[in-house]
Amino acid sequence: MANHETGGLAANQDLPLLRIRGLGVRFGTFNAINPLDLDVRDGEFLTILGPSGSGKTTLLRAIAGFQAPSEGGIEFDGRDIADMPINRRPFNTVFQDYALFPHMTVRENVSFGLRVRGTGRKRLNDRVDSALGIVGLEELGARYPSQLSGGQQQRTALARAMICEPRLILLDEPLAALDAALRRQMQNFLKSVQRQSGITFLFVTHDQSEATTMSDRICVMRSGSIEQIGTPRDLYYRPKSKFVASFFGASNIIEPCEVIDARNDVTSVRTAVGTFAVAGPAPEGGSGLALAVRPEAFGIGNGKPVNQVELTVVSVSFIGSETITELRHRDASLEFKMKTRSDPAASPPAPGSVLTVGFDPAECALVSGDRG
Amino acid sequence: MLAEDCVLWGFAALFILVPLASFLVYGFFFVVDNSVVYRPTLANFVEILSNDSYRTTFFKTLRMALEVSAINLVLGYATAYFIWLRPPAWRNFLVIALAVPLLMSYIIKIYAMRGVLGTNGLLNSVLLALGIVDEPVSALLFNLTAVRITLSVVLLPFMVLPIYISLERIPNSVLNAAADLGAGELQTFARVVLPLSLPGGIVGAMFTFVLASGDFLAPELVGGIEGFTYGRLIFSQFGLAFNWPLGAALSILLMIVALAVIYIARRLGNPRWQR
Amino acid sequence: MKRLRLLDVSLASVSFLVYLALYLPILLVFVLSFFSMRRGRVRWDTFSFEWYARLFSNESLGEALLNSIIVGVTAIIAATVIATLAALHVNARPSSRSARMLEYVIFLPFLLPPIITGLSLLIYFREIGVSRGLATIIVGHAVFVLAIIYRIILTRLNALSRSLVEAAQDLGASRLQTFRFIILPNLRMPLLTAGILAFALSFDETMITLFLSGTDGTLPVRLYAMMRVGFTPEINALITLILGFSIVLTVVFAFAWRRSGGTDNNRITRI
Repeated sequence: MANHETGGLAANQDLPLLRIRGLGVRFGTFNAINPLDLDVRDGEFLTILGPSGSGKTTLLRAIAGFQAPSEGGIEFDGRDIADMPINRRPFNTVFQDYALFPHMTVRENVSFGLRVRGTGRKRLNDRVDSALGIVGLEELGARYPSQLSGGQQQRTALARAMICEPRLILLDEPLAALDAALRRQMQNFLKSVQRQSGITFLFVTHDQSEATTMSDRICVMRSGSIEQIGTPRDLYYRPKSKFVASFFGASNIIEPCEVIDARNDVTSVRTAVGTFAVAGPAPEGGSGLALAVRPEAFGIGNGKPVNQVELTVVSVSFIGSETITELRHRDASLEFKMKTRSDPAASPPAPGSVLTVGFDPAECALVSGDRG
Repeated sequence: MLAEDCVLWGFAALFILVPLASFLVYGFFFVVDNSVVYRPTLANFVEILSNDSYRTTFFKTLRMALEVSAINLVLGYATAYFIWLRPPAWRNFLVIALAVPLLMSYIIKIYAMRGVLGTNGLLNSVLLALGIVDEPVSALLFNLTAVRITLSVVLLPFMVLPIYISLERIPNSVLNAAADLGAGELQTFARVVLPLSLPGGIVGAMFTFVLASGDFLAPELVGGIEGFTYGRLIFSQFGLAFNWPLGAALSILLMIVALAVIYIARRLGNPRWQR
Repeated sequence: MKRLRLLDVSLASVSFLVYLALYLPILLVFVLSFFSMRRGRVRWDTFSFEWYARLFSNESLGEALLNSIIVGVTAIIAATVIATLAALHVNARPSSRSARMLEYVIFLPFLLPPIITGLSLLIYFREIGVSRGLATIIVGHAVFVLAIIYRIILTRLNALSRSLVEAAQDLGASRLQTFRFIILPNLRMPLLTAGILAFALSFDETMITLFLSGTDGTLPVRLYAMMRVGFTPEINALITLILGFSIVLTVVFAFAWRRSGGTDNNRITRI
């Protein structure tokens, strides 16, 4: 299994299960995916996250083989599979609309992959039983898809994709059709199935919180390119771009900002509303930077003694455990959003009043501005 | 993939395209002593355009087809609209009742109309019994009016069904929205229902016109001498007159009209919001 | 409010007249098939099944009926194979220009006046030296019903989610297995529906057949010959039988159509 290709890769990385190099998809003159590289490690839960039109589904379809790439290569376990027909590819897909065969029962759906391979009856039944057991559908084998709830359909689709024991399963927004409560339940379920089976999951979604909850790593896509890859914590606390920062809820962007000093892992930046300290080194190629601050990073007065700035209250909204205060800076027309724990004792600040707020250098990030 | 293309286009060429092409070519040949001379000439077309009786038959037939389409558009729309307003159980029944005659033999329906329109027919019996006329009216059969009535009855389902289908496609929410915005029933009809169901009417009118203009069975069976139409003219070239090239040339004119009507219907029946 | 009432009443009366016009003539034929006529007048005192009995001793009618069935069955099998191939072809590449052209060509014999389809095949067969007979009628009918069968199958194929085919392939099914296990089971009802409808159309087809039949005519052609001679109770009896058959076919068709989801217009338009 090990081969010469590991040499050139970054340290502490095993041979990836799926290795994508220079993969691009064009529709006419439109670049759905700009040539990109991506490694999927064996056994991980990797989520491709992006807004609609970012190319995430196209990327998944190119990997699955439904969409012929315009260029680039895909290797699975060291083998080139770019030209391999769909039905020979060694992994399976869970579709957004589940794509359950309407004329087959749950059992027939789940056994399909084995049947087309000519698996013997005994072995087939055992495998189907165990797959139905994993997804908790033992009792519903004789039902037709139209007789199942959304969650049950979802489980059937998962069992069907798992039946051939692939090492990788592609999931195309499989939870999009479910309601919020069921979706949370299915997130936990998918995650636990992935953990226990050890199958690598490549999961596509547009939902940031879904990606954060489930994934080992997240790959954020935008306009056909990869914006950033990292663990959920990385992306949350160390976004590299304005886009990733705002996608992960850091809605306060202060730009332009200029690095004036960088030492001891603290970088000082100057902006239109003041000078701030940011934890971590300055990013390379430090022009066109912006400072991203999470709404919950702000604290009032002495609670946050560093990085302070005076802001005028515009409005206050009480949303239960938290209170959101909209603020505006007096000189620059910059607007800020602050999220604080609701305090039953204190009355909220009146609109028009001036607050001194501050934020921790570790709770903000220097990010690149908009591309292009 | 290539084999598939070959089979499909092979079939299409062998049984649709080449026959149509050979018929088109035939219109330019001519007949001497009951045998076809394979030399191109425009003689047939010159003959058709300069011969008064061909010309009048041609325009008489087109006019008749147009009249039938117009009458059926009115009758058909009213019926489709009526069906549409019924509760669902009624609707299904009425639609099936409309589809049943559609699948009945064309020639049988024409024959049945003869039983209604004839001198001893049902219509005359009713008129006599009601005392509206004193003796049977013979003007009901074997003339152009008989052809009009027969074609109108026989082709009605082709009008009602497309209109009904386009009515049924109008979502309820759209009607509710119109009402919500203050449109009365008549306004909703005129501004929402009618424009949205017009494509169905156009398709129905197209079917009716194309079928009526090329028909030769109804005129043959109920038309008499006065009801001599273009379709019969063509058919007779392949029977007694035995002038196939002339028959083909006559049909080419009919086909041009039919294609033009189909084309216009496609343009009109496919409004901007559906493209 | 009053004006609307008036409108309702007029709509109802027009519709009533339309249904009356559609059914009364046929009903009349049915009633008259049990009575004799003298000098064009119906003798209401002669109710009998005599005319039906005579039909069964008429051998040429039996032959014509057999011809109709042979033509219908053969034409439909041929047309179904071609139409299914064409529908699969077009469904797989909806934006291909060649596929769209093919669709136009398939629709031509259905859209053009039957007289043109009939005589173009007549001229064609004469020129390639095929004499008129059952074979030429079969071709005429196959070409005529092709568009209907194609349309019904294509509608169903388009309604099938693309991801079903992708899912089958994703799970390892070959093209043939995908067709056998996924597409064909979903085409069962549409194929049945299209078959019934096409058979009914073929069974009644007269205009194209008149051009293409030699000595072996189908039932409508035979009827046409009888009708030109006159108005007899025997024809009425024959017609009644044919109509009964057509009605049975239509009802079967209607049920098949509804079961295959054909009346669900939304499903068709959404695709």
